Amino acid sequence: MVTLTIDGVKVTVKKGSSILEAAQQAGVRIPTLCHDKRLIPFGACRLCIVEVTARGRTRTMPACFNPARDGMEVATNTPKLRDSRRLQLMLLLRSHPLLCPSCDAGGDCQLQNLVFEYEVPELSFGRQSRYFHVDNDSNFIRFNMNLCIRCGMCVRVCEEVQGQSELSFVNRGIESEVSTDFDRALDCEFCGQCASICPVGAISSKWLVGTGRRFELQDTSTVCAFCSLGCSLTLGEKDGKTVYVTSSEDSVNEGNLCVKGRYGWPFAYSDSRLTKPLIRKDGLLVEASWDEAIQTVAEKFGAIKKSSGPDSLAALGSQRLTNEEAFVFNRLVRTVFGTNNLDHAGGYAYRSLTDGLAPMLGYAASTNQIREIRGAKAVLLLGADLTETHPIAKNEINLASVRKKAKVIVVDSIRTKLSYRDGFFLDVPPGYEDLVVNSMLKFIIDEGLLDRASVDLRVEGFEELAESLKDYTPEAIAAALGLDADLIKAAATAYAKAETGVIILSEGLNRYRDSSPLSKAAVNLALVTGHIGKESCGVYVFGEKANAQGALDMGLTPDLLPGYHLVRDEAARSKFEDLWKGQIPASPGMNARDILKGAENGSVKGLYVVGENPLDTYPNRQRVQNGLSKLEFLVVQDMFLSSTANIAHVVLPVAAPYEKAGTFTSSERRIQKLNPSSKQIQGKPDLEIFMSLAAKMGKPELSYAGYSEVMSEIAGAAPMYSGVSYERIGDKGLVWPCLDDEDSGTSTLYEGGFPIGKARLAPAKLLGMVSRSSGSLKLIPCVLKFHSGSFSEWSPSLMEVCPPGFAEMSRVDMTNLGLNDGDAIKIVGNNGQAINLKAKESRRALRGTVLVPYHFSKNKLNSFTDWGSTEIMIQVEKA
Amino acid sequence: MQERDALLKKKVEDSAEIIPPEKLALLDPVIEKYQGSSSYLIPALKEAQEMFGYLPMEVQRKLAWGLNIPAPQIYGVVTFYSFFTITPRGRHTIRLCLGTACYVKGAKNMLEIITREVGINVGETSKDDRFTLEAVRCLGACGLAPVMMIGEDTHGNIMPSATLGILEGYQ
Repeated sequence: MVTLTIDGVKVTVKKGSSILEAAQQAGVRIPTLCHDKRLIPFGACRLCIVEVTARGRTRTMPACFNPARDGMEVATNTPKLRDSRRLQLMLLLRSHPLLCPSCDAGGDCQLQNLVFEYEVPELSFGRQSRYFHVDNDSNFIRFNMNLCIRCGMCVRVCEEVQGQSELSFVNRGIESEVSTDFDRALDCEFCGQCASICPVGAISSKWLVGTGRRFELQDTSTVCAFCSLGCSLTLGEKDGKTVYVTSSEDSVNEGNLCVKGRYGWPFAYSDSRLTKPLIRKDGLLVEASWDEAIQTVAEKFGAIKKSSGPDSLAALGSQRLTNEEAFVFNRLVRTVFGTNNLDHAGGYAYRSLTDGLAPMLGYAASTNQIREIRGAKAVLLLGADLTETHPIAKNEINLASVRKKAKVIVVDSIRTKLSYRDGFFLDVPPGYEDLVVNSMLKFIIDEGLLDRASVDLRVEGFEELAESLKDYTPEAIAAALGLDADLIKAAATAYAKAETGVIILSEGLNRYRDSSPLSKAAVNLALVTGHIGKESCGVYVFGEKANAQGALDMGLTPDLLPGYHLVRDEAARSKFEDLWKGQIPASPGMNARDILKGAENGSVKGLYVVGENPLDTYPNRQRVQNGLSKLEFLVVQDMFLSSTANIAHVVLPVAAPYEKAGTFTSSERRIQKLNPSSKQIQGKPDLEIFMSLAAKMGKPELSYAGYSEVMSEIAGAAPMYSGVSYERIGDKGLVWPCLDDEDSGTSTLYEGGFPIGKARLAPAKLLGMVSRSSGSLKLIPCVLKFHSGSFSEWSPSLMEVCPPGFAEMSRVDMTNLGLNDGDAIKIVGNNGQAINLKAKESRRALRGTVLVPYHFSKNKLNSFTDWGSTEIMIQVEKA
Repeated sequence: MQERDALLKKKVEDSAEIIPPEKLALLDPVIEKYQGSSSYLIPALKEAQEMFGYLPMEVQRKLAWGLNIPAPQIYGVVTFYSFFTITPRGRHTIRLCLGTACYVKGAKNMLEIITREVGINVGETSKDDRFTLEAVRCLGACGLAPVMMIGEDTHGNIMPSATLGILEGYQ
């Protein structure tokens, strides 16, 4: 720690902090135009110069990249400094067009603000116009380089934070400007970070051009509803309509957003949004009143329950429901419908990953915070293509790789972008990541690379684990998977020897079978190497949709009640029966797969689907379709007329995530509040629908005064939420477990120990046969960064930047098939199912694999997939 | 001054010529040699320029792909160093100095003559591929102003009217 004085304020900061950071801590503002806390100091603008007196000498130096030292006396605002800053600003104005009255950045321009603050007079030298490129062709983002002040923040955020490097300084000296190669339009992640960081109007959001200025917009901060990282959004509204989305630099995500968060929101204003309930009459869906629709649903479900028993009803919830809605939905299904036939898509994908964690560690969730990943010295990615699935978490790995020189170990069947980072890439057939992890662990144990203290003091079951790994030698696994054994060994050594190491799993599409062996293997590895219960260590599981974690916490499953209480557990059940004032059936219900089977064989007659589109996203489309169409009564609650809604008997329109309240629990266990921005609600919030349905079904006691009342009930029911209440959830949320009113949440789990005593290592499963079919091509359904589930199809902006219709293939396979980039191809599955797409040469596709995004309903990709299978053999022919 | 600055700016335009894939394959050994370390970008670009005479878009993109360096960064390097060029060059490169000394001693007139008689502007190449005209900031021989280099030869103390005569010597 060093202590210095800044403008008379004494401040103590960490060694290595810059003078600028020390000043911020002391509450002294130093002006900057090229600094951002996310970036490495650059020192281009020279506005942060300060006068430093140390050892009797006074010198002028930039505050951003000079470290604070003990005993420094810093003056930040002397007449000399003000003069110097004024001159810098005048030099910037020399060639900056003074079109401020018509500039989009007017009022939100840091240059303008400083020119005002420093009372810059008429320039005493001639102004000069220069002409640079203007790009109006890129999606979402507009470049007008004539306004650029060469601070370089866009170039740096693109490279340092995003790892994209789509922008570069081109040309030299006075002619230099920021551009892509050959001034082409952008072809990147479209995260818009460059536009959000630009201090002037040189890079701006296209949609804001001519729409409104920042200060005219009314801001609401809420949580992003796409993936599960819980980024905070600031919605800027004009005339009651969102026109701009950004994120505050003080948010958990530090102002970083991905393309979906920043530019995906126009789905809320889509013409395709449903505004009125639809009821099928004479085979057609026709608009109806809310009363009639709810009445119909209540009567039909009531009738089915009466005639065929409550277990002929079933319900599918969604990872997109808020905690409150999921909780009330749970109550509705179990106590009003009277069945435990309740599940959601995360029940087979996300849950099979977190299920591995709970019995071994204590909690079924990621152990650490997302922002800790940047401090890791080794990152092990298991089937986690974060660039596509969770772009903001990818930034963290980028930071770890560049700033901490972390080794990035990628085990995947896709050549992901992160696999080009310094580290190791181990390509495995879809679904075999666990074998590599086990062989790494076997090598670590055999070579004595384990953390003895951790194994002796913190875990049990080590001998059984070591015994179960005996077949998993790197050589055997390498031979089975077609890898190099030395690569496995090197990766294992890198992870084991790293001071801090994280393991990341993500809910992906090639996880139709039970993935718990993978999460167990990951936890074993972390425990044996001592990489758990510490900062920048641990095991992360990232869900696909916003409330993946919350949906499980709230028990949207056949066998769990909120807070992971078991349905089977008599005491827990009776506690919930008291709370919910209704009977809960004693035995676990059917899971999603069985519900659809039940629909097929007639045991399920009525199905209530909330916020999901099983027809397009559940495996084995044919059987899903069969099942759904055999249902006596299908109710779909959605914002849009999805494929599933299209075959429903009643469709209930719901509010968009930006229009409702509630909380989401992110993949780092952070509970954050949504705040409704728009008053133009089309449809109703799910919570309201559940309550009116319960009332119509004779349970008016299922009623809450609002979201906060639901949360207080959740706090009483789910132990890790017990200290959570709406008053306590601040701007940055609360991280569970939060046990009482005093508890400010737990960011790192298992720091002091495990709630279950010692962590329990899980023996590896027996090494089975590895099927390595050669010759034929494999289809891998993949996720793209521009899309989220099948729901982003309704976002015109995301469809514009990433339209459907392509399949990524490796160059070798394309040459073998005589295909060129852009050729039309036909992909034929084993059962004769076929889709027509365009071939796209891609490095992501490894030899023998064809990557097709699963987001697009018109591709009907789930006609190729099936429960429990990971390998999809296909034929590709020229169409 | 503005006029001069504009002349000194590097021409940025897509290459007119399209490099056929078989010709691009010439780059494969270069890529193989320098793969894996982004610090060898400049030698790789140098070799590529020796091969093609210039660095068109396709060559830069191929190097970007092969060396795993983002294309905008490569472009940034190419446009930064005056040694690299994006447009094809003629057999002889005229480097006309537009530094202050040369400028006041008649380089401007020389430029006008070349532009008019050879029919090319700064940054362009004549249709017969004979000359490429470049304007440079200084050749370090202000005592000989105005100075012009053609290929490796330096010509100084040029009377603007003698410009064409000098060019005659380069076919």
